[in-house]
Amino acid sequence: MQLLIILLLLIPLILALLSFLSKEIKPLALLTSLGYFLNLILSLNLAYQYLVNNTPITLLNNSIYADALSVFFILTISIVVFATALYSQSYIAHDLDQKTITDKKANLFYVLFNLFVLSMLLVTLVNNLGLMWVAIEMTTLVSTFLVGFYNTKNSVEAAWKYIIICSVGITLALLGTILFSYALLFATNTKSLNWTDMLSVASKLDPNLVKIAFIFIMVGYGTKAGLAPMHTWLPDAHSQAVSPISALLSGVLLKTSIYAILRYTMIANKCLAPSYTSNIFILFGLLSLAISAGFILIQKDIKRLLAYHSIEHVGIIIFGFGIGGPLGIFGALFHMFNHAVTKSLLFFGAGNITNTYKTHNMHNMRGVIRALPFTGIMVLMGTFALAGLPPFSIFFSEMMILISAFTQGYYLYSILFLLFVTIIFGAIIHHFSKILFGEKPKNIPVTKDPLPVQLAFVFLFIFMLVMGFFILEPINTLIVSATAILRGI
Amino acid sequence: MELFIVLGLLATAYAMVSAKRVSTLIGNFRLQALFLCILTLIEATKGNHPGLYSVSILIFAIKVIIIPLILFRISEEIKVNENLGFFIPPLLSLIIALILTYFSWVLAGMVFTGQETMLKIFGTVSFSMMFLGFFIMIFRMKALAQVIGLLAMENGIFLLASASSGGMPFLVEIAVFFDVFIGVIILGLFVYRINQLFTSIDVSKLNRLKG
Repeated sequence: MQLLIILLLLIPLILALLSFLSKEIKPLALLTSLGYFLNLILSLNLAYQYLVNNTPITLLNNSIYADALSVFFILTISIVVFATALYSQSYIAHDLDQKTITDKKANLFYVLFNLFVLSMLLVTLVNNLGLMWVAIEMTTLVSTFLVGFYNTKNSVEAAWKYIIICSVGITLALLGTILFSYALLFATNTKSLNWTDMLSVASKLDPNLVKIAFIFIMVGYGTKAGLAPMHTWLPDAHSQAVSPISALLSGVLLKTSIYAILRYTMIANKCLAPSYTSNIFILFGLLSLAISAGFILIQKDIKRLLAYHSIEHVGIIIFGFGIGGPLGIFGALFHMFNHAVTKSLLFFGAGNITNTYKTHNMHNMRGVIRALPFTGIMVLMGTFALAGLPPFSIFFSEMMILISAFTQGYYLYSILFLLFVTIIFGAIIHHFSKILFGEKPKNIPVTKDPLPVQLAFVFLFIFMLVMGFFILEPINTLIVSATAILRGI
Repeated sequence: MELFIVLGLLATAYAMVSAKRVSTLIGNFRLQALFLCILTLIEATKGNHPGLYSVSILIFAIKVIIIPLILFRISEEIKVNENLGFFIPPLLSLIIALILTYFSWVLAGMVFTGQETMLKIFGTVSFSMMFLGFFIMIFRMKALAQVIGLLAMENGIFLLASASSGGMPFLVEIAVFFDVFIGVIILGLFVYRINQLFTSIDVSKLNRLKG
C-alpha cells in the first residue's frame, strides 16, 4: 500500500517533468490522460486495500498518513482529474488551432496542471498540519497562472484577486495552525504539528485557546473553500480560468480546503462541545446559500453562474457537517462527491459553449442543443442534477442532509435551507432553459464534440446518474468509514 | 534586549502604516525583517532550538536582502509613481493603528491567559504586525503595497510562532519560507502584467469583474 501512495504522487510529478521537456503537445496530452487513468486505477486499488485492512496507512515515519477520509478525497480527486485530463486534450488543441495560445503556452498549461494535481493530492496525504498549509498555499500559487492564463485584462485582474485574497486567508490559517501547536505545547509540553499527535491529546488542550484558533482556521481555510462572506475571489477566478481548470477549481480544489477544516474540526470536537464547531458551520453554510442565491438570480455570465453554484454547494456541504449526526455527515461527504462530478461536467459544457458562441453572456446564447447536440444534452442533464432533481445523485445527498436536520429538530435552519435551495432551483432552470432550447443563431455551425470530450462527459455522467440509484463501491464503504472517523468513533 | 527589538518591530510596522512613498514602505519592511532576524539570532544563542541559526540566516538572505531587492527592482523598472495612494490618510491610519494595537493586546490576553507579561507583549506585537499588514493591503492603492502588506502579516506570524513555541519544526519553517519566496516572485510577475495591461499598478483600476 505504501508503494501505491508513492506511485500516486510520482505520476503527476513525472508528467509535470515530461510536460516541461516535451516539444509535441498531442502525444503529451494523450500521455497525461493515460497517466491519470493509471492514477485512477491506483487510487481504486488503494481504496480496496484500505477497506480490507481498515487501518490508516502511514509512511516515512508517520509524515504521510492516510485514513478513510484521505482515501475518499484521493479517489474523488482522481476521478475528476482523469475526466479533466481527457477534456483538456481537446480544449487545448482547440485553443492551439484558434491561435489563442502558442505551443509553449500549451506546455506551460500541462506543467502547471500536473503540479496543481500533485499539490492537491499532497494536501490529503500529509500528517503534518504545517506541511498541509504549505501544500494548500502551493495549490494557490500554481493555479494563479492557470487563472491568469490568457493574459487579458479580465483574467489578470481575476488572478490578482485570487492570489491576494487567498493568500491573506491562508495566512490566517497559518496563524490558526500555530495557535493549535501552541495549545499542544502548553498542554503536554511536546512540540509537534502532526495531526495524529494533536488528536490523541485533544481533550487536554485549553478550550479557550482552541476556540480562538479554530475561528482563524475556519476563516482562513474557509476563504479558500469559497465560503461566504470570504468568497469574493471565487466567481472571478472560476469564470476567468481555462475551462478545464475551472472544473478542477470548483470540483476538487474547494474540497481540499474543506478537508483541512475537517481535520481541525476533529481535534476541536474532542476538546470542546461539538455544538461550537457545528454552530459555526451552520452559520457559514446558510450565509453562503443566501448570498449565492441572490447572485445566481441576477447572473448573466455562464461561468460566473456556475461559480456561484459552487458557493451554494460548498454552503450545503458545510451546512451538512454542521447539522452532523451519522446521516448528516454521510450526506455531506456524499454531496461533496456528487458536486465534484456534476460541477466538472457542467464546466466542461460551459467551456464548449463559450468556445462556440465566443461569449460568456447568456443573453447571446440560444439553441445550444441544436448547435452542440452532445454537449447540449449533457448540460441539460447536468442542470437537472445540479438543481437537485431526482434521480440524480445530488437530490439524494441534499435529502440526507435535510432529513438529518429535520430529525434533529433544526426546523428553522431546515426551512431556510429549503427556501434558498428552492430559489436557486428556479433560477438555474430559468437560466439554462433559455440558453439550451430554441433556434440557434444562423452564424453558429453545428459542432460535433471530439471523442475525448464525449468520453469525459459520459464518464462523469455515469457517476451522476448511477449514484442516484445506489452508491457504488468502494465509495459507499469509504464514506461510511470516513463518517465514523469524523464522528470520532 | 529582546524587549527593545520587539518594540522596534512594532515601530517599523507603524512606520509602514504612515509611509507615503513606495520606496519608504519597502525600506521599512527591510528594517522589520532585520529586527526579526536579530531576534531569531538571540533566541538561537540561548541554545534551546539549534535549527534557529539556519532560520535566522534564511531570514537575512531572503527577507532582508533578496525580497527587498526584487521589490525595489520592480518599482524602478516599471517607473511606478512613488505616491502610494491613500484610501485613508496617514494620520488617521496611525490612529487606527493604535486602536488595532489595543485590540491585539486584548487578543493576546485571551490567547496567553496566565502567562508571563513578556509573552503577552510578544503576542501583542505579532498580532499588531498582522493587523497592520492587513490594513496596508486594504487601504493603499498600489499593488506593491499589497505584496508588502502580505509579507508584513507573514512576519507577524513568524514572530508569534517563535515566541509561543520556539518556531515551527525546521522542515515546516523551510517549506513556509520557500512558499513565501515563490509567492513574492509570482506576485511580482503579476505586478508587471498589471502594469502592462492597465498602464498603472493602482488596484483601484482592477474593477472590471463584478456581480
